[in-house]
Amino acid sequence: MRERDDWHLTDDIKHESGSGDPFAAAVRATRMSMVITNPTLPDNPIVFCNEAFQTLTGYTRDEIIGRNCRFLQGPDTDRATAREIRQAIEAGTDINVEILNYRKDGTTFWNALYLSPVRGEAGNIQFFFASQVDVTERVSERSLLAEQKAEVERQVEQRTADLQAAVEAKTLLLHEVDHRVKNNLTMIGALIRLQARTIGDPGISAKLEAMLERVDALATVHRRLYQSEDISQFDVGAFVENLVSDVVGASGRSEITIAADIERVEIPSANASSLGLVLNEVLTNAIKHGFANGHAGTLKIAVKCNGDNAQITIEDDGPGFDGPEPPAGGLGVTLIRRLSRQARVDVVWEHAAPGTRVRLSFPLEPQ
Amino acid sequence: MTRPKPPLNVLIVEDEALLAMDIEAMVEAAGHRVIGEASSFHDVIDLPKSLSPDLAFVDIQLAKGTNGLDVCRLIRSRWTDAFIVFVTANPKIIPDDYCGAHGVIPKPFSRNGLMAAMRYIEEGVCDPPPTTMQPASFIASPAFAASWA
Repeated sequence: MRERDDWHLTDDIKHESGSGDPFAAAVRATRMSMVITNPTLPDNPIVFCNEAFQTLTGYTRDEIIGRNCRFLQGPDTDRATAREIRQAIEAGTDINVEILNYRKDGTTFWNALYLSPVRGEAGNIQFFFASQVDVTERVSERSLLAEQKAEVERQVEQRTADLQAAVEAKTLLLHEVDHRVKNNLTMIGALIRLQARTIGDPGISAKLEAMLERVDALATVHRRLYQSEDISQFDVGAFVENLVSDVVGASGRSEITIAADIERVEIPSANASSLGLVLNEVLTNAIKHGFANGHAGTLKIAVKCNGDNAQITIEDDGPGFDGPEPPAGGLGVTLIRRLSRQARVDVVWEHAAPGTRVRLSFPLEPQ
Repeated sequence: MTRPKPPLNVLIVEDEALLAMDIEAMVEAAGHRVIGEASSFHDVIDLPKSLSPDLAFVDIQLAKGTNGLDVCRLIRSRWTDAFIVFVTANPKIIPDDYCGAHGVIPKPFSRNGLMAAMRYIEEGVCDPPPTTMQPASFIASPAFAASWA
C-alpha cells in the first residue's frame, strides 16, 4: 500500500517538476500523456493523470480524477474498439489500439492508446497504466490516402463504364447498319429475281441472271464477313467453297464432279468484294462454257497458300477457248480485268487441254 | 412417321412482301407448292387448321412485333409433322435447340443458295439422309442432322 500512497503523495506535490519523488516528477512532467486507473474501486476510475493528459483532452484535473476513461468516447468512436479495450481490462492483458476520442470542447483526436495492468507481488492487478499519443495527423493522412485511392478508383470505374457504354452503342449501331445492309442486299436480289421471271427474251433473261449472280456473290461476301469472328479478314478459301457449292448445287447438275483442294487464305476484307466478284465471274464462266449443253465433267478448284503468295486455280475439262486469250467483249471479262487490277490479283488464262484453266495469284499481306 | 413426297406443301412466314414473293417463286421453281403465307404470328393463328404444311420457311423478325420463334412453337403444336426452317438475317438469335425447328437459311440468301438449300432439305425431309453435300446456305439443326446418323 505504500506504493499506492506514493501516487497520492505525488498528487500533493505542488512542483510541476524537479523536486519531490524524482520518478513521479518525471511522470508528471513528460510530454507523453499518461493516466493511472484503479480497478479495485467501483467502475475503475482514473486516480492519476499528468499535465500532458490534461493538455491533450482539455479537461482540468478535477474533471478527470474519479471518472472512467470512457468519458473520452463520443458518438463516432468505434464501438468494436471500445469493446476490445474493455475486454483487455477484464482479461488483465496489454492492449495497443487507435481510438477516436473527444476533447472537452467537442473536437476529436485519434488516440494511440497503450494500456497495461500493473500487478502487485501476489500477481493481483493493482492499477492500470495507460499512455496516449495524438496520432490524428497520421490517421487523417492515412484516411486521406484511402479517400484519394477510392476517388481514383471511382473515376476509373466511371471512365470504364463510359467506355463500355460507348462500345455498346457502337456495337449496336454496327449491328443495325449490318442488318440494313443484309436486308437491302436481300431485297435487291429479290427485285432482280422477280423481274427476271417476267422476261420472255432468253438473251435479256440470261443477262439479268448474270447480274443476279453478281448481286448474290456480293451477298455471300457480306454474309461470310458478318458471320466471321474477325471482320477485318476474309477467308477466300471458305468463300470459294461456299460459292461453288451454291452455284453447282443450285444448278442440280449432278453430272458435274467437283474436285476441290482448298486451304484457308485470308485477305484484308477491303478487297473481299472485288475478289469475290472476280471469282464469281470465273466460276460461272467455267460452268456456262466448260459444261455447256449438259456436258459432264470435272471442275477442279484449288486455293493454295505458297509462302507469301496465294494461288487460286479454277479448271474445267470442257471445250476450252481459241487463241491466246478468251474472247473479250462481255461484261464478265471486263469485270475480271478491272476488278482484278483493283484487288491486285494477277489473272492468267491457260489451255488445260482439254478445257480452260484460270490462275489467280496475289501476294499475301504480312499478318 | 410417314414421310411426305414431293411436291411439298410449303408455308411461308415472312413480313417483307418482296421476300415472300421471291421465296414463293423459288419454291415453285423447285417444283413445290405454296399453300399459305403469313406476315405475323397473328396471321399464322388465323390460318385454317386443315392447311397441313409439310415445310415452313419462317422469318424471325415478323410484323406487329411478333417473332418467328413463337411461330415455330405454334406450328409444332398445330401441325406436328411439319418441318420448319428459319430464314433470318440474325441466325445468332436462334437458341441451341432451335426451338425444335430443323435448320436455318441465313439472309441475305442468293437464288443459288436458296435453291441448293431447298434441294438439300427436300432430300432430308422426303428421303433421308441427303445425298448431296450440305450447302453453305443451309445449317441443319443438331437434332435434324442427328436423325440421319
